[in-house]
Amino acid sequence: MADDVRERTDDQLAELLRRRQDLARPAPADLSSLAARASTRASVQRAVDSLDLAHLQVLEAALATSSPVDPAAVGVLLAVEAAEVEPVLDDLWTLALLWRSPEGLRVARTVSEVLPHPAGLGPRAADSFVEVPAPESVAALLEEAPPAARAILDRLTWGPPLAVLPPGTPDRVATGARWLLEQHLVFAPGADQLVLPREVALALRQGHSHAAPALHPPLLEGALREESEVDAAAGQQVTDLLALVDELAAEWGLRPPRVLRSGGLAVRDLKRLASVLDVDEARAAFVAELTYAAGLLADDGSLDPSWAPTPAYDEWQQHPGHQRWAVLAQAWLLTTRAPHLVGTTPAGASGTVNALGPDAHWPPARGLRKDVIDQLAAAAPGLSPDRASVATALGWHRPRRVPSSLDVVVAAVLGEAEWLGVTGRGAISSAGRALLDGRSDADLAAAMQPHLPEPVEHVLLQADLTAIAPGPLAGGLATFMRLVADVESRGGATVYRFSQDSVRRGLDAGWSVDQVLGALGDASHTPIPQPLDYLIRDVARRHGQARVGAMRAYIRCDDEATLGAMVADRELSPLQLRSIAPTILVSPVAAETVLEFLRENGFAPAAETPDGGIIVPTTGAHRTPLQRRPTPVTAQKVDDELVTTMVGALRAGEEAAAYQREQVASRPGPSLPSTDPTTTLAVLRDAAADRQAVWIGYSDADGRTQRILFYPDRVEGGRVHGTADGATRTLSIHRVTGAVQG
Amino acid sequence: MPDGPLIVQSDKTLLLEVDHPNAEEARRAIAPFAELERAPEHIHTYRVTPLGLWNARAAGHDAEQVVNALITYSRYAVPHALLVDVADTMDRYGRLTLEKDPDHGLVLRTTDRPVLEEVLRHKKIKPLIGDRIDDDRVAVHPSERGHLKQELLKVGWPAEDEAGYVDGEAHPIGLDNADWSLRPYQQQAVDGFWHGGSGVVVLPCGAGKTLVGAGAMAVAKATTLILVTNTVSARQWRDELLKRTSLTDDEIGEYSGARKEIRPVTIATYQVLTTRRKGVYTHLDLLDARDWGLIIYDEVHLLPAPIFRMTADLQARRRLGLTATLVREDGREADVFSLIGPKRYDAPWKDIEAQGYIAPADCVEVRVTLPDSERLAYAVAEPEDRYRLSSCSPVKIPVVERIVAQHRGEPTLVIGQYLDQLAELSERLDADVITGETPVSQRQKLFQAFRVGEISLLVVSKVANFSIDLPEASVAIQVSGTFGSRQEEAQRLGRVLRPKGDGRTAHFYTVVSRDTVDAEFAAHRQRFLAEQGYAYRIVDADDVDATA
Repeated sequence: MADDVRERTDDQLAELLRRRQDLARPAPADLSSLAARASTRASVQRAVDSLDLAHLQVLEAALATSSPVDPAAVGVLLAVEAAEVEPVLDDLWTLALLWRSPEGLRVARTVSEVLPHPAGLGPRAADSFVEVPAPESVAALLEEAPPAARAILDRLTWGPPLAVLPPGTPDRVATGARWLLEQHLVFAPGADQLVLPREVALALRQGHSHAAPALHPPLLEGALREESEVDAAAGQQVTDLLALVDELAAEWGLRPPRVLRSGGLAVRDLKRLASVLDVDEARAAFVAELTYAAGLLADDGSLDPSWAPTPAYDEWQQHPGHQRWAVLAQAWLLTTRAPHLVGTTPAGASGTVNALGPDAHWPPARGLRKDVIDQLAAAAPGLSPDRASVATALGWHRPRRVPSSLDVVVAAVLGEAEWLGVTGRGAISSAGRALLDGRSDADLAAAMQPHLPEPVEHVLLQADLTAIAPGPLAGGLATFMRLVADVESRGGATVYRFSQDSVRRGLDAGWSVDQVLGALGDASHTPIPQPLDYLIRDVARRHGQARVGAMRAYIRCDDEATLGAMVADRELSPLQLRSIAPTILVSPVAAETVLEFLRENGFAPAAETPDGGIIVPTTGAHRTPLQRRPTPVTAQKVDDELVTTMVGALRAGEEAAAYQREQVASRPGPSLPSTDPTTTLAVLRDAAADRQAVWIGYSDADGRTQRILFYPDRVEGGRVHGTADGATRTLSIHRVTGAVQG
Repeated sequence: MPDGPLIVQSDKTLLLEVDHPNAEEARRAIAPFAELERAPEHIHTYRVTPLGLWNARAAGHDAEQVVNALITYSRYAVPHALLVDVADTMDRYGRLTLEKDPDHGLVLRTTDRPVLEEVLRHKKIKPLIGDRIDDDRVAVHPSERGHLKQELLKVGWPAEDEAGYVDGEAHPIGLDNADWSLRPYQQQAVDGFWHGGSGVVVLPCGAGKTLVGAGAMAVAKATTLILVTNTVSARQWRDELLKRTSLTDDEIGEYSGARKEIRPVTIATYQVLTTRRKGVYTHLDLLDARDWGLIIYDEVHLLPAPIFRMTADLQARRRLGLTATLVREDGREADVFSLIGPKRYDAPWKDIEAQGYIAPADCVEVRVTLPDSERLAYAVAEPEDRYRLSSCSPVKIPVVERIVAQHRGEPTLVIGQYLDQLAELSERLDADVITGETPVSQRQKLFQAFRVGEISLLVVSKVANFSIDLPEASVAIQVSGTFGSRQEEAQRLGRVLRPKGDGRTAHFYTVVSRDTVDAEFAAHRQRFLAEQGYAYRIVDADDVDATA
């Protein structure tokens, strides 16, 4: 194979590297190492996994024929003309899964490791040293087969070629199996196993390797849509999506939800988001994940973390709709987040997946998403393929890569693509194509622009206290409207409702009544309706009537003159006294300091408790809180009783040690000094070579040291293999504490 | 249409820009299936609901027309999901049909077997149906016709009722057209109803719903049972029928607490029908007393729950519902749909006003500021007392006096909820007061005097809410109401909306106490006014004199 690679032209090598990109990283030193790398199991596995069904079937058929590969024989197995197979074989050669020997094409050896049962076929009879009946006689044998035997064959014919008959198999089946074994239709590599040899399987398959050869991709099926209709629908979805993102940011900007300890969004918060956005939870999860993937939303990283819009959101928000879409669409294409997993329970897990949580990170999502959209893009323009046909097509293109949940993933990706305006009414939109072509943000935005409604810069104010923006509002005005009014209905237009609460929210945010009225007046072609004007002024009238603030001390005094004197006193200026009522002064300085200052300056203030009582100091001098008296540390005296007990214990200890020594001495074998590992190794090697026994000390998994009479067989890889007490054992050398010739 | 007048929102509301050149055209296209929710000055809001879509189906429109109307007039792309939903919803109507079969009597027939299987398995529907006749049909006992329709609607498979009606006992009734004729919209309403068989006609107060009833009777030419809200209303129906039709005094009976007459045309009150003694409805016999050919329900939106149950048993008779609004505060619109029938005619107030049939109105909210002592009392009051406390504030009285003085000579009604407040007002204004305790004869005497202009000011309690006909009342002053009832507001506004002889503007004042629940409830009620297109102004009590 190395020769084959060396003989390839530059173009062919370039093609190989392009199609098997893992070969190029790190750059191989020479062509021999390229060939070696191309035949490693990992690389071949990768290459085989990325084959489509046509290539995979041809490769399997090639494996099933004899070597070298004869295109005609492959064609026969797949029931097609050799001419149809040849280009595919050439392509497989380009991928270096086949190589040309002087005798002809051969399948790379590693391929058979990756595909141990090509097309579900068992091993060749010759390789397993068994005899099989001639293919012609198989049909005749089948005629005589008892029903149980037929049933077993039917199960094995199309693979997997291996059957296991566990103990307790019904007699009928066992009889069938015995009959098959007697006729050499199957063989038994193990006591309870049956294998169908390749020759028999091919005979049973009427000489074909695949039940359904699929050398051509399946066609997508579905309804055709007008292209203008597709783009219009996509534009409408984008309008909705942008509004939802803004809505999410507005909501979480005001009431950021907590980040769970496990790092996600609580189910309750997702439910609330869904109800705020007025969409179902799946879509709410999508909007949150998308916003997160686009970097517009993040964990705020505080001590008690919560999810909040990032500064990037504020910048994003100022851009026109089509540019905002481009950012979201790019993020979607590249993200490895899988919003559709939110709310599902992964196999083996106890809880459901939280939005924005670590479990919604699923790396295959990106590849699958791209594959699904590629299918849509490859379809006829305006075709809105049905879900099943997309799944089938995906299965053809990536037969070894599709997840078991393919249908769910396809449905999720199609749904997301629709929400994102990559598709419109199921067919890929022109902006969606631009996204797939990997065009720049600017191009992408330009592709979406004609399908988004023109932003409007005015609202219609009505006497029922609603305002209607008859299209998407330009950035600043949208933020303002969301601040002073509540969104009541969304879509092509936005309906806002003014209420006392919403207007107060605006005033709380620092807008003055005139600014609010001014901004509304500017945004509206018609005068502000009287009820709205009245509402805003009425709220403003009450807004800020009561004031709340925090101070550290107050001074109250019925004599206004005294307070006047305090405010005027220059010595008291550090106290920053301020009069908030004729008889009350406040200070941001602590009450004790205020008291002290006042006393120093000739006033006679009294301290007051929070409920208005006078604090009377109970003692004149300052005291600490109640303290515990420390006891000095003293040593206890050694008395006679202690001495007697101790001597007894010493004697007992000595006796125990003597017994221990006696025990050791009475054990079989020599004493075991702790030997150096290299010495140990040498002793073991010598013993293995001389077939002699050694005494070793071996520290087991519990940390105890055992004495073992050991017959080593061989020493390799830091282990010694041998027998002890009649059983085969393998011991790690680093655990052997010492070894002495036995 | 890129610049269409309609914006379709994702929440199934339709925004119609009224100043758009195609607005009228678009309105006509969407009116059959969308309910007008709000009609303020610039943009009208319609809502697409399943009931609305089924109403449209009942009126013979199909999904394609609806989708087409939306797409034709929409300014932006219509959300596809909404179109699919419209088609799906409309498709559910008519899969099941109630029919009359010569051999089996009443049968439920389906065009879609799985639907029939689905509903037959439903545990609430199972007991209502009889034997299976064949794969597509199942027998229904005639007495369950109403209940079945109700339950089918609840599970989302409304049945089309094609079982027809009994003609009832024939009785000659004609319109006395000597000096008047039905207005065009009244005629359309009668035609719409008759064509549909049964159903509801929605007309604003003052637009002549009684005449629609009379018109329907003249078409049916059969004995008629008219159900009304109260005795006063019953008398007015009687007067109106005597005046407008060929019916004579002997042919019209009143069935109320006071009198129990059963005649070819009988007017009964809801109250007498729903009277129970020992848990038994004592006057149910009335419903079977004659072979009625037509039953008219006045003020359908007030229909009490027991009447629904009784109506369920009257499905073989033609039913006409009359109302100013389909909005029910209890949300039983679906029962109105299934038991009385789909909406057969609807015209927005403003349109009829523009045609000059009801008076234009000037609505003003007057805000009074409570004195400090009352504010304190209000602040410490129990929540359930707060409304009464704030709405009965004595500071309202001088304001009412000033408004009355401004409109001296014009027929004026002062309407309130609380009797002591009304008594005090009546004393201060030197006007008669009518409450639930006023004897009917006294009541009618006063109304008559008011009608002919002998007195121009009346203080009335909520008895005035329904069906009193005061043709020349041109000023209404509301001092307190039933919390935030929108329906009551509509009725009260209706009091001043009858066309005036001289085309004067009607005035509708609401006096509320600032910063209290009174103002909150007022805001809720006014939302209804504003939504109906009546711009209202808010003025402070001190500025009242400037409003005249």
